[in-house]
Amino acid sequence: MNNLQTLLLVVSVLVLVFVLWNIIKNQMNIRYAIIWILWAIGMVVISLFPSIMLWVTNILGIQTQSNAVFLITIFLLYILTFYLYLRISKNNEEITILNYEIASLKKLLEDKKDE
Amino acid sequence: MKSLVIIPAFNEEENIEKVVEKIKSYGYDYLVINDCSSDNTANILKKNKYNHLDLSVNVGLAGVTRIGFMYGYDNDYDCIINVDGDGQHPVDKVNLLVEEIEKGYDYVVGSRFVTDKKPFSLRMIGSRLICGLIKLKTGKTVYDPTSGMRALGRKVIEEFSKGMNYYAEPDALCHILKKGYKVKEVQVEMLERQGGVSYFASPFKTVKYMVAEILSILFVQW
Repeated sequence: MNNLQTLLLVVSVLVLVFVLWNIIKNQMNIRYAIIWILWAIGMVVISLFPSIMLWVTNILGIQTQSNAVFLITIFLLYILTFYLYLRISKNNEEITILNYEIASLKKLLEDKKDE
Repeated sequence: MKSLVIIPAFNEEENIEKVVEKIKSYGYDYLVINDCSSDNTANILKKNKYNHLDLSVNVGLAGVTRIGFMYGYDNDYDCIINVDGDGQHPVDKVNLLVEEIEKGYDYVVGSRFVTDKKPFSLRMIGSRLICGLIKLKTGKTVYDPTSGMRALGRKVIEEFSKGMNYYAEPDALCHILKKGYKVKEVQVEMLERQGGVSYFASPFKTVKYMVAEILSILFVQW
């Protein structure tokens, strides 16, 4: 195991601990936590067995391993960010609806008081 | 026919009384929606006992407009009229729009260019581009797709209160045409802005608006 591999392993284990610790401490909903746990475990596994990446690189027909890593990571991040945007849009919609419901109730209460 | 004028208000303590009194003087039902103003707007609305909604969280003009549609739908209004709070829309012409709804149109736009010629300013080149895209997509000719003064019939109120992408005028109009609703443009003269700064004074916002409208007309509204 060379220096770089050791460094990558240490960092990815730290990341896994960081992710798990935060998920538990801040009570992240498990549905949102899954992807982050899987990703962190994946990083640990790949640091332990870099040959996995070599295998993937060959299958994809990419010349260098680093390019394969970049491609896959950027693709995953792209999808993940898009999903976040989707959620935010949905949350916006929900906030608008709740806002309306609360304002209507406040108005009803106010009108009752005036009577 | 029950008609409702919706008036969005965000930090409008100076204008709101004037605007509401004017609309009241024409005898319309109205709803002021206070978008969590940080100034005295809420107190003025309460003091004068104006018909209003106080939002708990600021949602912006798009959200406010949508909430107006929801209120109109829930309270069984047959017609909703959008009038801008900055005094550019002639309140005395609102009845022209309502009359067309009564005649059976679903969506009526207070348009600047039905009989008047459209000038060749930079802004109107943008307007022409949108007209062209709407023509391309729906085959219908429109004159003033960006006009914010519009009246909605019952069916459109229902649709707009349930969908999230109908707050901006051009792509909403495109959707309405695409769906086969009866649309009419009525000639009205807009007034000079009475205060405040135009949204389109910022070039960045203008570009953002145009890009959003073009993409929405081309890809989102079906």
